[in-house]
Amino acid sequence: MNQKMSASNNLPEEVERFNIVFRIQHIVMFTTFLLLAFTGWGLKYADVDVSNWWIRIWGGAETAGIIHRIAGVTMLLDFTWHVTYIIYLFAKGRIKLSARTTIIPLPQDVIDVIHNFLYFVGIAKTKAKFGRFSYVQKFDYWAVFWGMFIIGFSGFSLAFPMLVSYIIPESTKGWIWQVLTILHSDEALLAIVFILFWHFYNEHLKPEVFPMSWTWLTGRISMEELREKHPLEFELMFPDEKDKEKGALNAE
Amino acid sequence: MKIFPTAFTIICLLFIMTVDSHAARENISSCLICHNRMSGKVTLQSGQEIDLRIDASKFQASVHGFLACTECHKKFDENPHVKPSEKVPADIMKISEEIKSKAKIDPVAYSACYSCHEDIYKQVLSSPHGKNITVKHKPDGALCLDCHGSPHYIVKTDNPGSHVNRKNVVETCARCHGNRNLAVKYKMGEDVLVSYNESFHGKKYHLGDRKAPTCISCHGYHDIKRVDNPASPVFGLNKIQTCGKCHKGANEKFVAAFTHKPAGPIPRITQVTLIILTLSVFIFIVSHVILEAYAEIRDAIFRKKRRTEKDESENECI
Repeated sequence: MNQKMSASNNLPEEVERFNIVFRIQHIVMFTTFLLLAFTGWGLKYADVDVSNWWIRIWGGAETAGIIHRIAGVTMLLDFTWHVTYIIYLFAKGRIKLSARTTIIPLPQDVIDVIHNFLYFVGIAKTKAKFGRFSYVQKFDYWAVFWGMFIIGFSGFSLAFPMLVSYIIPESTKGWIWQVLTILHSDEALLAIVFILFWHFYNEHLKPEVFPMSWTWLTGRISMEELREKHPLEFELMFPDEKDKEKGALNAE
Repeated sequence: MKIFPTAFTIICLLFIMTVDSHAARENISSCLICHNRMSGKVTLQSGQEIDLRIDASKFQASVHGFLACTECHKKFDENPHVKPSEKVPADIMKISEEIKSKAKIDPVAYSACYSCHEDIYKQVLSSPHGKNITVKHKPDGALCLDCHGSPHYIVKTDNPGSHVNRKNVVETCARCHGNRNLAVKYKMGEDVLVSYNESFHGKKYHLGDRKAPTCISCHGYHDIKRVDNPASPVFGLNKIQTCGKCHKGANEKFVAAFTHKPAGPIPRITQVTLIILTLSVFIFIVSHVILEAYAEIRDAIFRKKRRTEKDESENECI
């Protein structure tokens, strides 16, 4: 019924969500993430026997170390590219701040989380309604930012300690290296756990997206998905639709 | 059953007596004729148990395989054999007196390493390892055999079978330095092995990184010094030079990263904070995923009908 209606109202079947630049940034991000996670895991749990075998798969400790460093630097560059690109788009006026389309967390997101939890347990009758980015997606996005600052900075310091040793204040030298090591190792574990549960469930395992959401390749989402998952954005993009729907129903 | 080895030994002894003890090669083979085949242990008058068996093929493959037995076993106090006729040099006698607390079985043979390895032996005796024996007269304290293993089977350090080969040296040091009782007894750094294993150096070492340093890379070996000795390579700013061997351009702030000291309050607070953060995120995402999956299944089974009915009724109202 929806599809018919879309066709009759000349609605596009799909809308672009991520342009080619974002898609490339995402591919670089997850490739380097996987490389970092695979090689780093072996180092973090070096005392486990399996790690020895695992690291040999990656070409031995030295090669795995080089892979880890190259992937880390590439990821940081990818992140820098992303932030620069966002600023560029913003300066050009190609993205505008709006509560319904922004990825910036807002108080509404907290309300949405509570709302959805209430729905999950059966108290609320409907799911929360989202704009362009649901809190699930916002969480996914900002988790990367958190990781970039914490794991990225600590990783950079551990990969290039001599360079960083000139920057760090004298008073911190007694503990800073241990803190950097702990930050890098523990937050990396958090990132892996996060991706494994949050990102994998929401973008791969959920019944409606299994085996994966293809948006990472096509950059598009279907009109149906936009209407169902992001109703607030749908209304914003096609403000006439609601009235038309009403009109059509009345005519029938 | 015990009669056989005893009888065998006596036969061997009779045989050895007939052999010219001055001919080195013959001497080796003569001793080994019996000692290669002996099994079991013998208790000395001092109460020490010794193993009399020498694996001839392993001995001859060792770096000392060319030596005659009596080059080291110069004098036996409880000698069941003929006494070697050579006189024991005075310096070796002196060392054998000094290391008596350690070398209870055959101090002269233990001191004989000195005749070939004079400089190294002197270094060891003046190191904390040696002084624990010579000055404090303790039974502990590493001498040659504690690190290199039995003198009969010593192989070159680049041989993976060597106790001090890169592959084994951490384990060798850890036999004492990973022993909590000894660490407490001699006020050595406790948990140095644990902190090494947790460090990047230790982790990479265990993963087979050929450049990862072992204990001796930083601390030295024969002429090892206590960490509080200003001459130690890991004392204070000496670390700049020591770390600089691998980390070109090492400076004061950089070398502070290398320590066996346990984590201070700031790293510990950081760790606890991060564990709490990780756990809370974990609880949130896991409960969200599980509840959402539950809701999906519930909706698919029970609510599909109800929702469509509701939607229709809403539309009708409009």
